[in-house]
Amino acid sequence: MIQRIANIAVLLLAALLCYGMQTTKPHYADLTAPIPVYGKIGETIQARTFDIAVDKVVFARTLKFDRFGQKKLLTTGGIWAIVTARLDARDRSAMVAAATWQGPDGLNYRASERTSLAAGALPVALDPGVAGRTRLVFEILPSQAADALLLVSGKLAGPLDSEARVALGAVALQADGVPEGTIETYELSDAF
Amino acid sequence: MFGSARSKLKAWIAGGIGTFAALAVGGALGMFDSLQKPVVMLEPGQPVETGPWEVRPLRAYTVDKGVYGLPLKAGEKALVFEAEMTNRTALSSKDYFTTFKSTGGTDDKPYIVLVRDSSMSPALQPGLPERMAYVWGLPAGATPPERFVLAVNGEIYKKRDNLYGVPGWYNEHVIGTVAIPVGAGPDTPDIRP
Repeated sequence: MIQRIANIAVLLLAALLCYGMQTTKPHYADLTAPIPVYGKIGETIQARTFDIAVDKVVFARTLKFDRFGQKKLLTTGGIWAIVTARLDARDRSAMVAAATWQGPDGLNYRASERTSLAAGALPVALDPGVAGRTRLVFEILPSQAADALLLVSGKLAGPLDSEARVALGAVALQADGVPEGTIETYELSDAF
Repeated sequence: MFGSARSKLKAWIAGGIGTFAALAVGGALGMFDSLQKPVVMLEPGQPVETGPWEVRPLRAYTVDKGVYGLPLKAGEKALVFEAEMTNRTALSSKDYFTTFKSTGGTDDKPYIVLVRDSSMSPALQPGLPERMAYVWGLPAGATPPERFVLAVNGEIYKKRDNLYGVPGWYNEHVIGTVAIPVGAGPDTPDIRP
């Protein structure tokens, strides 16, 4: 009798232990997540294969864009956020292929595909000693403009690779909800 | 000797019961699965939540000339369906290729265009509603239907999928069908709810 109770107790204990291990162990997605390297706007952040320094962020209501010699005015339901940054390869040639604007509410905006033909759009190939530049264009909700984080990495899905996370800082909002200093039209020219 | 035979018999019976129970449960589940669920009819113009998207079917019409930058040869016709789509997830996504499925009378796969600037199937941004056009080619000689019947597909969110343990939207299923009157050209007005 006592042995039977002891058996049941051991079984329950084992089940509890298994459940505990299952719920507390980190998930595969967390274990293989990118490794963040944090920094602020203006600082040079050293990722594994590249350095990045964000120059400035501009907000605009529309974009002017020359697509195959055809002038286009790109509108949006939110606002455009244009980030320019300097990029440098470290000791070998590298690619920078993915950028995400992470708003304060955790919404993740990938660099817009509508402007992927503009100069400076990702992916950018880098070589050591040759200064590189990128101009990232995001289409975001105005409420996600302030205190955003810019995530830049070498690959679109880069498990266990480093990811630069640049704090873009506070942005004051106007009465109509868009950030202060939002310009009407930003021209996506070849020089930036 | 009889004792061991009896215990063997007991084991056989217990095992048999287990097998039959498993078969019965499997059969019953299969039966419930194959039961025809009543088709939900969705109203055009009304918002529908599919999981990753909130969609609002707006209008459908046929064209015999190119539309939204898509070329069309002389004599060819296409069926255009427009909907307002909002990304409900926290990440830019283009997981909308099978959100609307034609239930027949058209080509299998549509071209999907952002109406705003005619870009081909761009990722849609979280929280920003966009009007999208699904353009199905019509087979040669086919007459366009009076009402275009579409299946609206949804997906469910899983914190961990079974293969990689990553979060995502899985298990696509039909939420309902929407029958939308087909207009004669790009001037067809939106359906008001």
